[in-house]
Amino acid sequence: MTTQRIECHIPLNRVEGDLELRVAVENGRIVECWSSGTMFRGFERMLLGRAPLDSLVITRSICGICTITHLTAAVHALDRIAGVAPPANAVRMRNIALMVETIQSDLRQSLLMFLVDLCSPAFAGHPWHTEAGVRYQPLRGTRCIEAIRETKRVLEIIALLGGQWPHTSFMVPGGVVYAPPVIDFQKSLMLLKQFRQWYERTVLGCPLARWRELTSAGDLDAWLAERESQREGDVGFLLTAGRALGLDRLGIGHGHALSYGALEIPTGSEVVGTGGCLVPAGLVRGQGDVEPFDQRQIAEHVACSWYADYPDGLHPMVGITEPVASGAEGKKYSWVKAPRYAGLAAETGPVAERMVAQDPLYLDLARRDQGISALTRQLARLTRPVTLFASAEQWLTELIASHQDPFYLPVEPLRQGEGVGLTQAARGALGHWVRVENGQIVHYQIITPTAWNGSPRDGQGVRGAWEEALIGTPLPDPDDPVLAGMVVRSFDPCLVCSVHVVGGGRRVLTV
Amino acid sequence: MKPLILCVGNRYLAEDDTGPRVYDRLCAPPGPPPEVAVLDGGLAGLALLPLLEGRPRVVFVDRVEGFAPPGEVVTLRGEAVAALANGYGHNAGIPYLLAMLPKVSPPPWPEALLVGMAGEPDPSAIERLARYSIEVARHGLDSTRP
Repeated sequence: MTTQRIECHIPLNRVEGDLELRVAVENGRIVECWSSGTMFRGFERMLLGRAPLDSLVITRSICGICTITHLTAAVHALDRIAGVAPPANAVRMRNIALMVETIQSDLRQSLLMFLVDLCSPAFAGHPWHTEAGVRYQPLRGTRCIEAIRETKRVLEIIALLGGQWPHTSFMVPGGVVYAPPVIDFQKSLMLLKQFRQWYERTVLGCPLARWRELTSAGDLDAWLAERESQREGDVGFLLTAGRALGLDRLGIGHGHALSYGALEIPTGSEVVGTGGCLVPAGLVRGQGDVEPFDQRQIAEHVACSWYADYPDGLHPMVGITEPVASGAEGKKYSWVKAPRYAGLAAETGPVAERMVAQDPLYLDLARRDQGISALTRQLARLTRPVTLFASAEQWLTELIASHQDPFYLPVEPLRQGEGVGLTQAARGALGHWVRVENGQIVHYQIITPTAWNGSPRDGQGVRGAWEEALIGTPLPDPDDPVLAGMVVRSFDPCLVCSVHVVGGGRRVLTV
Repeated sequence: MKPLILCVGNRYLAEDDTGPRVYDRLCAPPGPPPEVAVLDGGLAGLALLPLLEGRPRVVFVDRVEGFAPPGEVVTLRGEAVAALANGYGHNAGIPYLLAMLPKVSPPPWPEALLVGMAGEPDPSAIERLARYSIEVARHGLDSTRP
């Protein structure tokens, strides 16, 4: 049998920012892949010489979607430099804002960006295809419209807590800038409960408690067969269509799952976490146990990235962002650096969070699928709100009860020091590494989730997470790469964050 | 509620900072006229929806391409802008926002207009955009073009 190998660029729409994929195809399947972020971001350089508090305003503009996330990472780094532990109420408020941003992002990505692919003419023969069009067709799909309406309402919580919309910078070293009136917490709780009820009714098709009972792949199969409302919900629809398309066998990458941990449990809270966080930190290699997370194990490589070369990888506290757009053409192919954890090309995001949390459902799915598949990755995103609602409601309840306690501890002006701000964005692990000298930022490095997931090769030639995940994906027609697109979208890529300006919502109109 | 001038764009990117520069000009002393509200919408995209609700008129200010040569003020009706929407992305922008507004927000919907300019406007062009956006916010498309 002869093998025909072709190399081509494949177009990927509905990816935030500028992404190019070059692939080699043999017998209609991808056998090699190079993922390229095509714009230089430059925020790290923009911050040098500025006052430390400027990072709270500037870094949130890296992305139009993840503003609270970057604010969270930036303020955590400054808390460390200030040597302050914010009061419990400030932690609660910060957590709730981040959770709301995550929940709305998970819903919009799933219903407006991922499930839209089911409307592709390439899937016209499937029995669910017509219904997919009714639900998810851009601009008209009933579920798309509902998702926007409902996420618009839940985002009002950030406006209430942040005291401003858009562009809030309500988190500052030492806490938050003000104590909202108790009625704002009550209204936030009402908005969150209404959103949760909509989510249960239409996205899950069952109460959260029923979903939390699932502990194995077999349980998931039984759940899907159990009740019409569960098959008709968006989760059920994703499972039915995803399995029909073989997404449970595609997109299996290196298998290393990384979480920095997020959502610190405030002192005195009734919420129970792991290692002090609701979202635990750790690394899972393949089917292995959870290893403790240590940020000193992170290094960024530039062997294949358009930056001045340095040997091996550098920890972000000593990292260099020196763009070099010429030379080594062919070898260097992306503005995204290649972060590695203990030398591993790890993936991050909601499924990594479930693996690190040792969620038995996801551990079993990974066993059955022989790795983390595109379907499991997307399922974890669409169901992540299940893991957040109860704690967010509890923290709002606690805020109502404790609203007379402090929200801020005074801090001295930030003159000197190093700080690391780590959190979990909607797309996964986000870190800011900051050094301040004489009251000015002298060093700032950011590693975004998509830098982990969409990285190019490192100095050892190891592919990035979705480069690896794409290997084996069918690509019978390079002009219609719908399955390859779904594999990449299962990582929820956000290139404006990962490449070092912009795009973050370019609304330039072109006719 | 007052008519709103909603300046959008990325102030950290020269090729997309027309809106923020107009915002800065409108907020410079003595500030905008009291009968008009002005906001910096930044990169918020779909998250701007709540800001539109209850307004009689919303004037977006943004860079536009393909409608007129650089330096010339472009005015578009909301319907024409909404017609440019296709699918959702993080960068879906004003067309998607206006296309979804009547589907997800309760009526009455504001009269939506867009004032923009191609290229990277010089300070005098920013001044013209700022003055014209105020007139459009006050009087709609009956305003005399600059």
